[in-house]
Amino acid sequence: MYTAPKFKAFALACACAAFSPSAFAAGAGAAAATGPRAEVIHWWTSGGESAAVKQVAQAYRAAGGVWVDTAIAGGDQSRAVTVNRIVGGNPPTAAQFNTSKQFFDIIEQGMLNNVDDVARAQNWDKLLPEPIVSVIKVDGHYYAVPLNIHMQTWIWYSKAAFQKAGIAKEPASVPEFFAALDKLKAAGLVPLAHGGQAWQETILFSAMLANLGGKDLYLKVLRDRDPKAIASPALRNVLLAYKRLQSYVDPRSPGRNWNDATAMLISGKAGMQIMGDWAKGEFTAAKQVPEQQFGCIAGLAPNAPYLMQGDVFVFPKTRNAQAVQAQKLLASVVVAPNTQLAFSKLKGSVPVRTDVDASQADACAQKGIAIMKDRSRHLGVSEVYLTPDQNGAMQDVLTAYWNTNMTVDKAQKNLAAALQE
Amino acid sequence: MLARPIRAATPAVMPYAALLPMALTVIVAYLGTMLWTLRTSFTASRTFPSDKFIGITQYTRLFDNERWMLSLHNLAVYGLLFILACLVIGFLLAVFIDQNVSGEGVLRTVFLYPYAMSFVATGLVWQWLLTPGTGIDGSIAALGFPDFVFDWIVDQDLAIYTVVIATVWQSAGLVMALMLAGLRGIDADIWKAARLDGIPAWRVYVSIILPMLWPTVATVFLLLATSVVKLYDAVVAMTQGGPGTASEVPAKFIMDHLFLRSNIGLASAGAIMLLVPVVALLAPYAYARSRRARSGA
Amino acid sequence: MMAQALRTPAVQAPVAAGARRRHFTPARIGIYVFLLGAALFFLLPLYVMIVTSLKGMDEIRAGAILALPVDWTLEPWRQAWSTVCTGASCEGIRGGFWNSVKITLPSTILPILIGAINGYALSFWRPRGANLLFGVLLAGAFIPVQVMIYPLVRLLAGAGIFGSLPAIVLVHLVFGMPVMTLLFRNYYASLPQELFHAARIDGGGFWRIFLHVVLPLSTPIVIVAAIMQVTGVWNDYILGLVFAGRDNLPMTVQLNNVINTTTGTRLYNVNMAATILTALVPLALYFFSGRWFVRGIAAGAVKG
Repeated sequence: MYTAPKFKAFALACACAAFSPSAFAAGAGAAAATGPRAEVIHWWTSGGESAAVKQVAQAYRAAGGVWVDTAIAGGDQSRAVTVNRIVGGNPPTAAQFNTSKQFFDIIEQGMLNNVDDVARAQNWDKLLPEPIVSVIKVDGHYYAVPLNIHMQTWIWYSKAAFQKAGIAKEPASVPEFFAALDKLKAAGLVPLAHGGQAWQETILFSAMLANLGGKDLYLKVLRDRDPKAIASPALRNVLLAYKRLQSYVDPRSPGRNWNDATAMLISGKAGMQIMGDWAKGEFTAAKQVPEQQFGCIAGLAPNAPYLMQGDVFVFPKTRNAQAVQAQKLLASVVVAPNTQLAFSKLKGSVPVRTDVDASQADACAQKGIAIMKDRSRHLGVSEVYLTPDQNGAMQDVLTAYWNTNMTVDKAQKNLAAALQE
Repeated sequence: MLARPIRAATPAVMPYAALLPMALTVIVAYLGTMLWTLRTSFTASRTFPSDKFIGITQYTRLFDNERWMLSLHNLAVYGLLFILACLVIGFLLAVFIDQNVSGEGVLRTVFLYPYAMSFVATGLVWQWLLTPGTGIDGSIAALGFPDFVFDWIVDQDLAIYTVVIATVWQSAGLVMALMLAGLRGIDADIWKAARLDGIPAWRVYVSIILPMLWPTVATVFLLLATSVVKLYDAVVAMTQGGPGTASEVPAKFIMDHLFLRSNIGLASAGAIMLLVPVVALLAPYAYARSRRARSGA
Repeated sequence: MMAQALRTPAVQAPVAAGARRRHFTPARIGIYVFLLGAALFFLLPLYVMIVTSLKGMDEIRAGAILALPVDWTLEPWRQAWSTVCTGASCEGIRGGFWNSVKITLPSTILPILIGAINGYALSFWRPRGANLLFGVLLAGAFIPVQVMIYPLVRLLAGAGIFGSLPAIVLVHLVFGMPVMTLLFRNYYASLPQELFHAARIDGGGFWRIFLHVVLPLSTPIVIVAAIMQVTGVWNDYILGLVFAGRDNLPMTVQLNNVINTTTGTRLYNVNMAATILTALVPLALYFFSGRWFVRGIAAGAVKG
């Protein structure tokens, strides 16, 4: 009948596939490895990120190790695989997380090895910024090694657009910022390039909270979750300023990816964008140079907070001596000044240590490194202080407030509820 | 009902033995998971399941959540439109292709290919196509209708309908394939008899063919219903649940809390709430079928 | 009477329902208009994808998605296959191709086989309690896949096979079973019961009837089942990612690495090329399965 030969063919093909070259290669490869083997799960998959992680891989190989790369795009997918593999008994040697509370539950379950020896040997308490130490140090032990620092709320602007709108100097205060937006609107450009996604709206809010509300209000609201601070008129003003930004955004922004918003700046159609320093990659890909075709403003006040986020490696628990050795080697390689510089240069971030030679970095990164030396300006992004659930609930409120006719009072109330969970 | 065969050619246990994989899968994988999910929904589990039982707190939190309630509403609206559109379009496509048209092979592939493509990329394409100004409406405007604007995708109330359009595009071809298989299984003599009786073609379809296709339609309906309840990729690729939370759907809510927000307690409560109406609808239907089956062949 | 009526003559030409005359009646014109209009709607996104994949990124940033490329280039396709970065390695999506094949073949054959057996037992033999099991199975089809991942991870880890090819095949079997069983059961329910009763009177046993009577009549539904299962497994991402183990990661993982990125740059042209390349396998299956839609009318070709 028709079906029988079909099944036979399938069975034959199946048998052939089972003996395909890859099956043999895997076996052979494992036998040839020498040196501490580190399988690293991360989500750096695009061009610039990929080049950056290659630097780390090369540094690790130069130190005698074997780097096994397991890249999984999408932060939440990557972390889900990490958690599932730990539970399944097949953990990687190291895994990427954000500088945040994402891995606190894993620490609580005792599923991570600590890197105390490396941390104490290199005096991380003094070397690293306080927001970062607060997430990697739990109960006196260090559970993650930081790779870089991104600043979430850089204000990028297109020099061509500024010229067209007649803006002579960079805005240096919140009123000047809004004045510049008005000038851009009058010139017929899109004042603020924005992608209508919840996390991007949270960036706008964070920018207003940090620049308008100030460091104290920021910490009271996000770190201490003080109900009085959340209900205060100061926060109300921040929310109003945040909503005011919406009038400067073009109607096609909902759902837009952040790269497409940056593209609007690159083509001169839009004036400014508030986005993290990974945006530099888009400008560079379009062959634009900082301070020539585009500019970067770190904050709207002389000592505006520097909102830090970043990436870390955690080390799943294992008693396998080789794996532990690999973990310690990886940790020390990652914090080495050379690796820090090489990685950050390609990633668009700044190194976590302040004692590096900044001369090779581009103009915007140099600004960032200079600001980093001032410890009073160190602040973490919301996910440094909030659990993933609280952060998500806050995002829900912010994006609903942005997109609907919700009143500012309701938004303030909902925000209070979201942060109390 | 036939009596037992004269020769006991089959040990009575053989059908049970053959169904063993199914029984194992159902009991261990599905029932086991459902029970585990139920248990987790009563706990304060975050990234990992915990033993801290908190009663129905997760459920109250769920129903206090505006995003969840909106997702349920969206699911109902989306489900109705999606299933209806797929059934109608799929059926029409199958009927028309079955009319001895030339180029049937090409046409069939044209309607089926969307099903083969990963929605991550095709969802983005639909987002581009439906974005006001740079999408289709820009081209139509250029053709001489300058005021034509199609901005459903950035509209709070209409965004979910754009998801209907894109997912119907993806699934109607499969419905067509299933209906075509069913149509081709109907014996050709029906047509001869109908023509002899002088019944117009469309009436043959409505009064004779459709009822005969009932098992196929039932299958298609169930398949479409499962993809409605599990709707996730399309929303993520096209609108990310936006603008804001306007096109949120339950599966996305559950997923976000499962992985992104490390709150599997709430996600489990959502999953159970999603399962309850399904079981409530399936149970009486299955019961009625089994009673009918037992009372008559 | 049934047997004679079902012996349809022309096995080559598609069995036509309705008029055999090929005159251009208004009805026929209407049919073609509808089909061509629908075809345009269905082809529009593909057009955008192909056109985007042949443009350089500068043109794409300019934003005219329906415009033909000004500077045609095949570079995105070459990149997608062999040089785009998917992590620290930059070898395109080709690395996962054989893994996807290794996973898809058993994950199609096994669920179809078991689905057919289940459908056969459920519709003809109907052992006690089977319908209840089937009901639970169907309910299970409504559970979002991700909800079941954690329990399955624990189960497979306990069985010692987590992160291997058998694990992912087993997982695909679990998730494919509801749909496959549903397809076959409803299909067999529409076959005449007399076939079955007659075969039993002739002394056929469970497996003999299955292999010699039921299976030969199953061609159309096997095709449809194969289309659904191959598509589902080939395009599956999350299950392969979690359960297959690092050495068996399917092509969709590389595809996702190319397309999906949180803070990196997006190369839309490469993304589109990569998506089309990945979809070629299911597409080829659809195209070549057409022959069986023509032949093998259900209760037609064979009666013992």
